[in-house]
Amino acid sequence: MSTPELVTVTIDDRAVQVPKGTGLVETALAAGVEIPVFCYEPRLGPAVGACRMCLVEVEGMPKLQAGCTLTAQDGMTVRTAQTSAKAADGQNATLEFLLVNHPLDCPVCDKGGECPLQDLTFRYGPGRTRMTFPKLTFDKPIPISPTIALDRERCILCYRCTRFSEGVSEDGELVTVNRGAQSMIATFEDEPYRGRFSGNVIELCPVGALTSTQYRFLARPWEIQNVPSVCGLCPVGCNIDVTTREGKVKRVLSRNHPEVDEGWLCDKGRFAFSHPHARDRITEPLRRVRRRGFEELSWDDAVDEAERMLRAAGTRIVTALSGSETIEQAYALGKLLRQGLGAHAAVLPEETSTALDALRLPLSAIRDAELVVVVGDQPVEERAPVVDLWLRAARRRGAEIVTIGPTGSIQTPPGSAPQVCRDLAAENNELGRRLRGGQRSIVIWSGPDGRGGEHIAALAHALGLADVAGSGAFYLPDTPNGRGVADAWSAVADGEPADPEPIALLIVSGDEAAANPGVRALAERAEMVLAITMFQGLAVGWADLVLPGTSYLERDGTYMNLEGRVQRLRRTVIPPAPDELAWLAKLAGRFGVELSPHPSLVFEDVSARLFGGLAFADIAATAALPTRAKAAPRPPLPEPEPQLGGDGLRLLRYRSLFSGAAVERVAELQFQRPAREVEISPEDAAAKGIASGNEVAVRHNGTSVALRATLNRRLAPGVVRIADEHAGDLGARVEVGRA
Amino acid sequence: MSTEALVDQIRAIAEQYPERESAIMPALHIAQERYGWLPPEALCEVADALELTPAYCKAVASFYDMYHLRPTGRHLVEVCTNVACALVGAQQVVEAFEAELGLRAGETTEDGEVTLRAVECAGGCGYAPVVVVDHRYREPVRPENVPAIVEGLRRAP
Ligand code: SF4
Ligand code: SF4
Ligand code: FES
Ligand code: FES
Repeated sequence: MSTPELVTVTIDDRAVQVPKGTGLVETALAAGVEIPVFCYEPRLGPAVGACRMCLVEVEGMPKLQAGCTLTAQDGMTVRTAQTSAKAADGQNATLEFLLVNHPLDCPVCDKGGECPLQDLTFRYGPGRTRMTFPKLTFDKPIPISPTIALDRERCILCYRCTRFSEGVSEDGELVTVNRGAQSMIATFEDEPYRGRFSGNVIELCPVGALTSTQYRFLARPWEIQNVPSVCGLCPVGCNIDVTTREGKVKRVLSRNHPEVDEGWLCDKGRFAFSHPHARDRITEPLRRVRRRGFEELSWDDAVDEAERMLRAAGTRIVTALSGSETIEQAYALGKLLRQGLGAHAAVLPEETSTALDALRLPLSAIRDAELVVVVGDQPVEERAPVVDLWLRAARRRGAEIVTIGPTGSIQTPPGSAPQVCRDLAAENNELGRRLRGGQRSIVIWSGPDGRGGEHIAALAHALGLADVAGSGAFYLPDTPNGRGVADAWSAVADGEPADPEPIALLIVSGDEAAANPGVRALAERAEMVLAITMFQGLAVGWADLVLPGTSYLERDGTYMNLEGRVQRLRRTVIPPAPDELAWLAKLAGRFGVELSPHPSLVFEDVSARLFGGLAFADIAATAALPTRAKAAPRPPLPEPEPQLGGDGLRLLRYRSLFSGAAVERVAELQFQRPAREVEISPEDAAAKGIASGNEVAVRHNGTSVALRATLNRRLAPGVVRIADEHAGDLGARVEVGRA
Repeated sequence: MSTEALVDQIRAIAEQYPERESAIMPALHIAQERYGWLPPEALCEVADALELTPAYCKAVASFYDMYHLRPTGRHLVEVCTNVACALVGAQQVVEAFEAELGLRAGETTEDGEVTLRAVECAGGCGYAPVVVVDHRYREPVRPENVPAIVEGLRRAP
């Protein structure tokens, strides 16, 4: 890369050298001078100059300039309000105007104490208003969704929120209506702001106009603690600050990791934090009692009981993992079961492929790509939402994004992703040729097929992407730490997992495993079931012993995200029951296995085997991505598979972003859950005489599910799409007809 | 016009623009002609035809004075109150209409006959103050001309 030309700018008599084109706000910062801003936020795209707080005097320009709209040019001489009376005058007037209709209700405003408007009014501006007329008033606050409240009186019309909606998440749902003094922020009619990333506008708002309904009136900035951690609800692993007060989580904020999330969160990660307080949270161990349901038992008895079950089962144990355990938890379970008992059989949440290590890139590389090809059955935003934001950023920068799948820009039937990989790798494939020839080509697998990691790595290797620094491949896993869990489990021991028959004991680790129908089927076959879950609803009724699980907000440890980045999870609040590692260590001791209850020590063990001895304490607050592995395996391209035959429409099930045990337990997120509907292509709808909104019956083999039809123009003909939670027992081929 | 015909007509117009969303202004006009104003359904239809969000259409429609987000009467009187007109007495013209019609600007007479609106620059600043009656310009209009204009409307078929 060429080094950018340096220019010298003088700000308030201080000369500073910065690369040409650096924003003036950043240039001033480099010189140690603050230019106060409200609307300026480079992550939202080009500056709009809406608020005028940043007025400065620039030599050679007759009028005051909005500093945020300027960039550093050689020889520029700038005076801020600190050294220019003219600029100070302008800034005073600006602030006075911004406050003309502002209610100044800081004492009852959630933003108070962490409010840029409050702070800057305190430090700048005239300190006295001449406004004696009645102020504009509005109904306040009004909900713009169950999670966000809007107070129009406080709004200073900086357009940060609407620019986010239009130009970052691109949902276009939050807009400014009317004009001039009547302008106001609004959604369409009474519709809630439904975008998947809506919560970011709360953090962007520089005043108390957009606030969180969950955080309303709960805390003041001086009585809270923000604990740096990472989100544990999907494989992106966004960096977060968890606000706690009096031992409870009160909100989740973004913590900008420029390579992972750029400071954005999805609404699941931001708003689902209240799940640990769900009414059916398990806080004591539970044992099934014949004909009496369940009884609580003490922790000592529970550990004894678990020991008895393990001894009785010996090696005939199957462990079903969730992929939401920390690396340390998975390793500890492995150590106990594999080293202690020789029980190697496991149901892993994810098939992992180390082949991807040679194709590693930070997620931010997507933004800089020229060509991105996404293959697979599921839209990226349902699996790894923030990756969708990176893709949108790439498209805005001129990249071409090609999605190949049932709802893709190139439509293919469900399950055809392996075939697509083979096609793209072929010499004569035009898209493949362009990927091969590019300097920044990225391929992404977005689908539930467990071998996707291997397939996409095979494709990327066939295209030579491993040899190009800006090119690479991503696999979007199903679970937040599936990769870390699988790696940790396999690092413990080498024993060959023989499938025990009959299964004496099934260990169900975590909520995802407990909710998995495959695991439930195994439980039918097992003589005993030991479940580790957070919620009654998941395991009570079919497990013999239930040990309380903890949330990612309550654990110390590490997760590995979809890039292969190992990140620190911090215990933000104390769980209501001992955490998994604590009793696993106890239990391990009974089997002569040495296991520390401290994540840092367990990590040392894992790290020696998996991460080249990386120290727990050296995982930075914004963790680094390991460099590309040189000697990763090169899997072959997937073999052709027989295509599913039969009549009727192909059913494409999908797991909505807003699903899962945590989301189900958060009242404010219920409006985001998928509707009871079946998506159908306009072609199929027309052929069957179905209109959008019609009640239809979806049938398969005698079962029938009643749903509302909705037309999806992007859906491939011959396919219908239904959210997992509404698809019941429907099979892969269905008939759809008017009810 | 059916919804389908409306959507088709808008899409045909959109073809003539390099970016589909640039057709938003004519699209809103077409929808307004169909409904007489722009009810939420109309905004949804425009959004559907141009693959925009209804919120975006509402943002545009509410910015400009020539789109009506509320039903209007059989006749429409628009008085420009922007700078040039304001300087030569537009406010007095508005007040004259208000007195004559017995309503406030922005309202419609109870019999549904006449809607009075104060609008931004109508582009006739040289002949201020400008009044637009059922899309025809009357210029300049003084308060003393107002009774005759209202009388004309009342007698119009
Ligand atoms: S609501 Fe907040 S972010 Fe949106 S325009 Fe108003 S002040 Fe700015
Ligand atoms: S994108 Fe994933 S990691 Fe990020 S906030 Fe959402 S659920 Fe959490
Ligand atoms: S920060 Fe420059 S105009 Fe708002
Ligand atoms: S100001 Fe009235 S027509 Fe221009």
